[in-house]
Amino acid sequence: MKHFNEAAFDPAASAQQILLTAILAALGAIVAIPLAIPQSASAQTAFTLPAPPFEVPMLPSPSGGWTVMVGIGGESTPDFVGSKNSKFVPIPIFSIRRAGSIDQFRGPRDSASIALLDVGNFRAGPAFKYVSSRKSDKYAELTGLGDVKAAYELGGFVEYYPVDWLRLRSELRQGLGGHTGAVADVSADVIVPLIQRLTISAGPRFTWKSTKATAPYFGVDAVQAAASGLPMYDARGGAHSVGFGSQISYRINPQWEVHAYVEYEKLLGDAADSPLVKLRGSSNQTTVGLGASYSFDFRIR
Amino acid sequence: MRRIVILWLGLAVASVALGAAAAFETRATRLQAIRTVGIVSAIGEEMSLTQAGLTGLSNTGQTASISAWGLDELIVQQATRLLSGRFRVQAVSYRRAAFAAVRDSAVAPVNLLRSDPFKELVRSDVAPQGLDAYIVITRARSKLGNGRNVEGVGLAQYRTLLADYGLIHALYEVRVVDGKSFDVIEKRAAAPLDNTGTMRLAGPSGPVDETFDGPASSERLRAAIADLITRSLPVTLGDMHLIEGQ
Repeated sequence: MKHFNEAAFDPAASAQQILLTAILAALGAIVAIPLAIPQSASAQTAFTLPAPPFEVPMLPSPSGGWTVMVGIGGESTPDFVGSKNSKFVPIPIFSIRRAGSIDQFRGPRDSASIALLDVGNFRAGPAFKYVSSRKSDKYAELTGLGDVKAAYELGGFVEYYPVDWLRLRSELRQGLGGHTGAVADVSADVIVPLIQRLTISAGPRFTWKSTKATAPYFGVDAVQAAASGLPMYDARGGAHSVGFGSQISYRINPQWEVHAYVEYEKLLGDAADSPLVKLRGSSNQTTVGLGASYSFDFRIR
Repeated sequence: MRRIVILWLGLAVASVALGAAAAFETRATRLQAIRTVGIVSAIGEEMSLTQAGLTGLSNTGQTASISAWGLDELIVQQATRLLSGRFRVQAVSYRRAAFAAVRDSAVAPVNLLRSDPFKELVRSDVAPQGLDAYIVITRARSKLGNGRNVEGVGLAQYRTLLADYGLIHALYEVRVVDGKSFDVIEKRAAAPLDNTGTMRLAGPSGPVDETFDGPASSERLRAAIADLITRSLPVTLGDMHLIEGQ
C-alpha cells in the first residue's frame, strides 16, 4: 500500500506549490493518507431515453444519469408478534435515484423515512411503518381472538453518527387503524467496513409501546377468553422488547450486491406475559433475511 | 355518476399535462431566447481533506487553500469554449468569495421554499448587468460514507478494517440565472463520470493511486482535478441542453 505523504509534494516547482506544501504539511497526519488502487472503472450506461416532452413545474429536469436497482429478497419472520412459528415472506427490491446518489446505511428494522434535516452526522425527518393485519383464521393459536386491522404508524426519526462507524437511531410513531398507541424504537449499530465492498454491522435494539399499541395484540378480553380458551388478560404498555441485530452486505461488483441479516427480539413486560405468548407462542422472536440486487444506469437526454 | 367522475378525472389529467407542457415550453423558450451569457465560477479556492469509514473519535475535516491552482479560471475558460458555439460569452467580474460563501440550508424544505441565494448575488455582485443570462458554477455537496459530507474540490480517504481507499473529487453545480428577472432557469449538479466504483460520490470523482506519490505530486493532483472538471463539464452542460449532448 502506498502512502500519500506531504513530503512528496514538489517544493521546488513553484512558489505556489511551496505554499501548498506548507499548508498541507501543517495539516499533519490527515494528509498522510495511505492509498490503495481501486478497481478500474468504465462507463456502464445501459441505455439512453429521449427527453420527456414536458417537465413538471418546480421540479428539476429529469435529464441526466439515473441508477435503477432491482432485486429480490425474503425473510423468515414470526407468523405474528409472539408466535413460535415462522413464515417466509418474499420482499421485492426496487429503487431509482440520480446516478451517484449515495446509499445511506439502513437497518432492517428501520421504518421508511425521509431525512428533511441533514447536517452530515445528524439526520431527522418523518417516518412511516406499515404493520400488517392479524387475521385470527390464519393461525390456530389465534382462534377466538378476533382480527386486528392493519396499522399505519406515522412519526419521526432522528439519527446521529458520533463517528462514521456508529449510528444511533430513534423513532417515535403514532399508530392509526389497527392500533392507536405510540411506539418508540431505539437502536445502535456499529458499522464496520472490512473492505470497500464488504460491510458488517451489529447492535442492540429496544422498543417501548404504549398500552393502546400493546393491548390489541396481547390483551384477552372476556369474549376472546370464552372463544379462545385463554385466560383474560389486561395487557398494558411499557418496555416491549429488547434485542440484537446484525447484517452483512457484499458488493460483488458495481452491479451486483447481496445482503443478509438476522434480528433477534426478546419480548418483555406485558407482551411477554400475555397468555397468547406464554401458552401458545414464544417471547423469543427471530427474523432472518437475505436478498440480492442488480443495479444499472440509464440516461435521459 | 361513474361517467362524470371519469370525465372529471380525464379533465384533471389533461389540465396537469397541458400545464406541465406549458412549463416545459417556458423553460425551453427561455433557454432558446438567450444570446449573451456571462460565466461565474467559485469552486476552486479551497480543497477539503476528509476521512470517512473507520475513523477516530476526534476526526474532523480539514481544508487547504488551492487558489493558486486557478481552477475557477480553468472552468470559465472551458465553459466559454463549450458555450461559444451557441452563445456570445462575455467576461464578467464578481466577488468570488461571496459566491463561494453561500451554503444550502441543512433543512431540505428550506432550500425548496426560499429564494435561490445566488439570485440576489448575481443581481448585486456581477458586472456588467444586462446580459441575457449568467452561468453560475459553485460547489456541490455529497455524502461520503455515512456521517460525512464533502463538497467542492477535495481529497478524501475511506478507511476500512483491511484497506484504505483514496479519491479526489470536484463536486459542483451549474445554474442558469436569467439576466433580467434573475430567476434560476435551470440548475444541475455535475454527475459522476462513471458509476462503477464501489465507493461513490454524487459527482465527478476518481481514484487516487501511487502516481500521486513522489515528486511533483501537487501538480499531478491539480492535473487530476482539472481532468475531472474538463471531462464532466461538457456532460453537465449537455444535460442542461446548453450544448449538444455528449
